[in-house]
Amino acid sequence: MPKKITVGAVAYDPKVVTIWELINDFFRAREIPNDYVLFSNYEAQVDALLSGAIDIAWNTNLAYVRVHRRTNGLCKVLAMRDTDVAFTTVIIAGTNTGIATLGDLKGKRFAIGSRDSGQAAILPVYFLRNNGIDSERDIHTIRFDLDVGKHGDTGTSEAAVHEAITRGEADAGAVGDQYWARVLAEGRVDRGKVKAIWTSPPYCHCNFTVLDKRYGKDLEQWTDVLLQMDYNDPAHRQIMEMEGLKRWVRPELAGYKPLFEAVEVLGYFNQSA
Amino acid sequence: MLTPNAVCETASLSLSEGLDVLLSRKLDKLSPGQILEIRSDDASIEHDLRAWARLTAHPWRGMRTENGRFVCFIERGAAQRIITSNSISATDGELHARRMVVEAAGRIPPAAEPETGFSPRGAVVEKGSPRFPFDVVDSAQAWNPEASDFYEQASSAQWNAATDIPWNAMSVACIDPESERCICQLMTFLAENEFAALYVPAKWIPRIHPHFVETILFLSTQIRDEARHIDVFVKRALVNGGGLQFSSASTQRSLKTLLDREDFLEASFLLSVLGEGTFLDLLRFIEVHAPDPVTAEIARRTRIDEARHVHFALTHMKHAVASDGALKRKLFAAARERASALAEVKTINPLVEESLVILAAGGLRPDNLPKGVRAVRNLYATMHENRMKRLQLIGFSPSDSENLSHSHTPNFM
Repeated sequence: MPKKITVGAVAYDPKVVTIWELINDFFRAREIPNDYVLFSNYEAQVDALLSGAIDIAWNTNLAYVRVHRRTNGLCKVLAMRDTDVAFTTVIIAGTNTGIATLGDLKGKRFAIGSRDSGQAAILPVYFLRNNGIDSERDIHTIRFDLDVGKHGDTGTSEAAVHEAITRGEADAGAVGDQYWARVLAEGRVDRGKVKAIWTSPPYCHCNFTVLDKRYGKDLEQWTDVLLQMDYNDPAHRQIMEMEGLKRWVRPELAGYKPLFEAVEVLGYFNQSA
Repeated sequence: MLTPNAVCETASLSLSEGLDVLLSRKLDKLSPGQILEIRSDDASIEHDLRAWARLTAHPWRGMRTENGRFVCFIERGAAQRIITSNSISATDGELHARRMVVEAAGRIPPAAEPETGFSPRGAVVEKGSPRFPFDVVDSAQAWNPEASDFYEQASSAQWNAATDIPWNAMSVACIDPESERCICQLMTFLAENEFAALYVPAKWIPRIHPHFVETILFLSTQIRDEARHIDVFVKRALVNGGGLQFSSASTQRSLKTLLDREDFLEASFLLSVLGEGTFLDLLRFIEVHAPDPVTAEIARRTRIDEARHVHFALTHMKHAVASDGALKRKLFAAARERASALAEVKTINPLVEESLVILAAGGLRPDNLPKGVRAVRNLYATMHENRMKRLQLIGFSPSDSENLSHSHTPNFM
């Protein structure tokens, strides 16, 4: 009997249980003894990965960076979703604010999401800084620290940013491109009030993280099987729809460089770790 | 520079205003790897479209500005929106493709797939649909080539129990109380039988595969007919204040065997060929001997409907018997089995039989009663003869027909 493989995931929504039950079925049908453990926040999940309580962590980019720092890089990424590659942050602005470029943001009220959200807080602040805008000095930053611990997964802080701009309580703000595309497609954007003005450079988002010392044949096989999941196969589509991907892909580690730099430059872990 | 395979002019349409609909339609027509060029006047298009392309898994291939306009490029991704193996495109205007689509709608599958669910026959069905519990899935059982004609007939022959019966004639008709009581008893009996004739097809519709739609549609008219019959029989029992009369346990027992039957062809054979067939003579008898024009018209109209059900069932049985050599034996066995289950039911509800006698005698006058008795005996003989004719029409031998007709329930239905 092969050793059980336990994956940790954060329960940011009730559907997470359904997703992981389906993933269990998928692996077990292929004779891989997969199981899962749910956490209420990514910090607890990272601790569990480091202590060996779980074999694999389904991490946000920030949780991955944290594992990387705490293991001095002795960790590996098994796979990610196609949607985790080339993730971007979109800067949206009130239509009547006269903001058309990043430079126009100076002196304005700028809304960002949860402080632990890569796409809606850490990276936008970092990208603005790279473009000559200091979030402390040059703009009035409005923070929506909602669902802290979930690293922005729930999308509630992005919705709050969007809402604040729609109501005129903020002039501009940052959201993830997946949030933006979804609300656009669902017709939840008032075009008379909000528009997108800037798209960030691409970066990577979630991944399956493992410790180097735990990595072995069984996890290699686990990854190969995961990558067989096919969106064009009706039996797999439900999982992939719910998890928000069309294809599992091999890691593209270069895509984490912006976040590594961001947490360093902003001293993120010094403030909140 | 990218060479697009298709170009999409969007003016300043945005994603929240329907641009996604336009793009999805354009992208559906491309093969994975092909390029769609999108020309827009909206300055936000780059940010919106890039995000949308990633969400929908179509690679973003960049943007350039051209005379103040924004020209974006999206590559068609590999994910299918709808998973099918059938590549017929409904938007393909080519004549041969159209013919294929039309033919697909008319093609009767010998055995229908449970996974096609409620999709109309000929639709392109996405893989991964749930299985439905249809268990009448063979065309030999579920379909006959004349079903759609029967459905057309039934649709144009619908009538209204409230307005098509000359209820006003009731007030002037002078009916003696004894005859009225007989009519009320007969209406009670007819209504309970019609409940069976409604419930049996209603039970089978959810079990017949929707690709045999002609049969489903016809059975739905049968249900509608029976609903109207129940309505009109009950109305007639109530209209003069007589009210509903007695329902016998033997009638209920007999009707329950029809509902209990777990084979569609056997159930249709017992209900429609033998039961409703026998009812044609009963209704004709009531029409002839009715003491009032309202009852006569009710009997006439309901008989026309019932005749349609009987003809449909005969056609259906003939078709099924032709494609299954063992079917006649099965139907024979089903009828015999029902007869033995009803062995203790020796006679019809006596109040029903007496009502028929009194109706034909024109009342309870002793000198007229023999006429009534003779008329009812003749009715039974006619029922038997006609049952035999119908059985022989399906292909039963004269002796088998005789045997089956004799063992038919005295309850008529």
